[in-house]
Amino acid sequence: MPSLKSWFPIPKNSHFSLANLPFGIISTASKATPRPAVAIGDHCLDLQEFSASGAFSSLGFDVSVFSKPTLNDFASLGRPVHGSVRKFLQDVFAENSSNAQVLQNNKSLQEKCLIPRDGVTMHLPMQIRDYTDFYAGKNHAFNVGCLFRGPDNALQPNYTHLPVGYHGRASSVVVSGTPITRPNGQILENPAATPKVPTFSPCKRLDIELELGAFLCKGNKMGTNIPISEAADHIFGFVLLNDWSARDIQAWEYVPLGPFLGKNFGSTISPWIVLADALEPFRSTGIPNDTQLLPYLQEKEKNVYDIKLQVDITPDGGETTTILNSNGRNLLFSFAQMLAHHSIGGCPMAVGDLLGSGTISGTEPGSEGSMLEISKGGKETVKLNGGVERKFLQDGDTITMYGVCGTEETGLVGFGECTGKILPAPKL
Amino acid sequence: MAPLKSWLQINAKSHFSLHNIPFGIISTPDTPEPHAAVAIGEYALDLQVFSQQNGFSALSIIQPHQKVFSEPTLNAFAALGRPIHRVVREYLQSVFLDNGPFPDVLEKNEQLRKAALLPLKDCKMHLPMFIHDYTDFYAGLNHAYNVGVLFRGPQNALQPNYKHLPVGYHGRASSVVVSSTPIRRPNGQILTNLAAEKKEPVFSECKKLDIELELGCFVCKPSQLGEPVRIEDAPEHLFGVVLLNDWSARDIQAWEYVPLGPFNAKNFGTTISAWVVLMDALEPFANAGMANDTELLPYLDEKDRKSNYAIDLSVSLTTSSGKTTNIGKTSAKNLLFSFPQMLAHHTIGGCPFNVGDLLGSGTISGESKNEKGCLLEQTDNGKTEITLEGGEKRKFLENGDTVTLTGVCGSEEGALVGFGDCVGRIDPAVQLSF
Repeated sequence: MPSLKSWFPIPKNSHFSLANLPFGIISTASKATPRPAVAIGDHCLDLQEFSASGAFSSLGFDVSVFSKPTLNDFASLGRPVHGSVRKFLQDVFAENSSNAQVLQNNKSLQEKCLIPRDGVTMHLPMQIRDYTDFYAGKNHAFNVGCLFRGPDNALQPNYTHLPVGYHGRASSVVVSGTPITRPNGQILENPAATPKVPTFSPCKRLDIELELGAFLCKGNKMGTNIPISEAADHIFGFVLLNDWSARDIQAWEYVPLGPFLGKNFGSTISPWIVLADALEPFRSTGIPNDTQLLPYLQEKEKNVYDIKLQVDITPDGGETTTILNSNGRNLLFSFAQMLAHHSIGGCPMAVGDLLGSGTISGTEPGSEGSMLEISKGGKETVKLNGGVERKFLQDGDTITMYGVCGTEETGLVGFGECTGKILPAPKL
Repeated sequence: MAPLKSWLQINAKSHFSLHNIPFGIISTPDTPEPHAAVAIGEYALDLQVFSQQNGFSALSIIQPHQKVFSEPTLNAFAALGRPIHRVVREYLQSVFLDNGPFPDVLEKNEQLRKAALLPLKDCKMHLPMFIHDYTDFYAGLNHAYNVGVLFRGPQNALQPNYKHLPVGYHGRASSVVVSSTPIRRPNGQILTNLAAEKKEPVFSECKKLDIELELGCFVCKPSQLGEPVRIEDAPEHLFGVVLLNDWSARDIQAWEYVPLGPFNAKNFGTTISAWVVLMDALEPFANAGMANDTELLPYLDEKDRKSNYAIDLSVSLTTSSGKTTNIGKTSAKNLLFSFPQMLAHHTIGGCPFNVGDLLGSGTISGESKNEKGCLLEQTDNGKTEITLEGGEKRKFLENGDTVTLTGVCGSEEGALVGFGDCVGRIDPAVQLSF
């Protein structure tokens, strides 16, 4: 498929090619109100300004959605509208477009709407009603299980039958760029001792988790379920997600009710939501499941995506090192399956809900999605560029996650950055 | 202290005595948009009408903020903070006081009484707050012990962490509903044969549907990412208390919950009572709660402050034949940790809070046989049955069963502080075909 060529300067290697057009929420120095935008090359298109010009009038939807401080109202319009808006914008930016009068030949509108991205502040793209984190990265679950129970008991009996998940803390999801403060908490210094008496200290095993996030554009009434055949109608788009984890705090607290303070001190998402439509060409099979799934989880389509994922670490004032490369295919369950499972008992889902995939690890060394795995449970140090070593995160470290699909020829479809810097724990 | 007496006829046994004044969100046929009210005796005082017709004219501090009473949730009122809640509640008590200081506001104002004092039976109740996040704790030690014995035996009943920190998990905010909302039996994956070598779940409706008798506490003051709420300051962050029924699908839970905790077993519905009893109304009933023989870390140490409450709790089950049986009575004293301790723990790593966030206490059970807050404990995980009025038996809930939680503080007639009902009826599971 030849790439869409644009009259607008889009660098060849940009993750925001015309094949992408992700949606986010921006503000600028000249206009501080957060409002919707689309990323294109090194710029973004201010959708509030653009829609005020009447540019969308032929599409027949309520453009007041582009004057809201989140994308929830736009998402609520449904996937057919998302699709028509995105196609229209692709056409407006296309070379030899039949819509050249809209923007290409309208210098004053370009000046109002097209803003260099490096001058823009990004905000959380959606108001998150509820956040759920799943555990569908089978290689990660296996690696972690091995560390604690050995290979024969690594995965629980339920693991391949259902997408295991837990409710997360919606208030703790922040946009890329937000600093993450190392949590204090109860830690069992010596797990082998009896009796078990915890101490209070800053987390000493601060970790990352490379995940994908899916935002919903449609919910369901409590007491009803979302059939898997309809799940696609409910999914708006995707982001990168870093499920920062305090491994030592988690180890002491998590039996029997699951991870809690080990997670809710912060979770970071990338700011540009890549629409499901933009990922269509990159559908793939995920990790094969040799368990026969119950009918409500059986899906016909390939609902996992071939996304190249990368995580870099940059110590304070130091050199950047890539610590892992993975792929979005490394999932046992798709978001459609997670959604069907989450709602099967009648749980009400809503516009703006966020689903996390779980840590995405490959099978090869160098593809593990967390430092817990990379350091083999904190036993081995990882050597970084500049002569630095790490097992877990240190204060001042910045973690940046990237994800991209496709080729320059067809137009790269990427997620921008999902980044966060670790600040020292407060002294209490 | 003698009970406060009102010029309004209030039944001496009413849970909405002049000592209470709980806040809720109502709508009526005449005013269909949800808005604020307080409950008094058999009436709701419609705060939207009351404020719009200058009922608060003698209370200057509330003057700039009266719009909050027309909001569809109590969040904006709660955000005004505990000093204002206190003053508003005391003012309303004064307005209703027999021989009180403000007889012209309502007692002698027939027109306002007609417009603003509405029979409770004519009011539709709504969720009192917009809940951003809901967390359920596990601080009912007797419940945790009883359940632990069922699954691990007495030696290993409580996990090593249990007394050191208030164990909790994030709940599903979207699934919290107001009293009287029907609850549909969930379908899900169930392992019918636990002993089998190869664990093969089946898909069916939940066959072990249970209740959990809890308290809920709403937050009225936000906290920022990275900034813990100190235990000394935690009470200022708490608005008021409701009853909470954490409906549970025990069979779905057993298969799914290792290692990440309960999920679909809980998120099909959680019911709260409609009237939020303010912290100030509970203050006379403050209690130390259960003694903790473990030395707590300083961030959880409340010293001599008493932050649990002597609330008499009761559970009854009404079958579809209409017969009601009391199936449990216990006290909210049976909590190892308090709401301030739960909040201090929840924020200790920097987790941020919003006004309207909800904390569940965990199932409250006493020590004796008749004091169990869930059917799992009452029937030893379905080994025995309870017998209801009229002879019907139950292990777990049947379709058509209605469960009612009630709670009241105090025993002095005319001074009771209660929560109203927390009710839900079980509807049959959806028949799904594939």
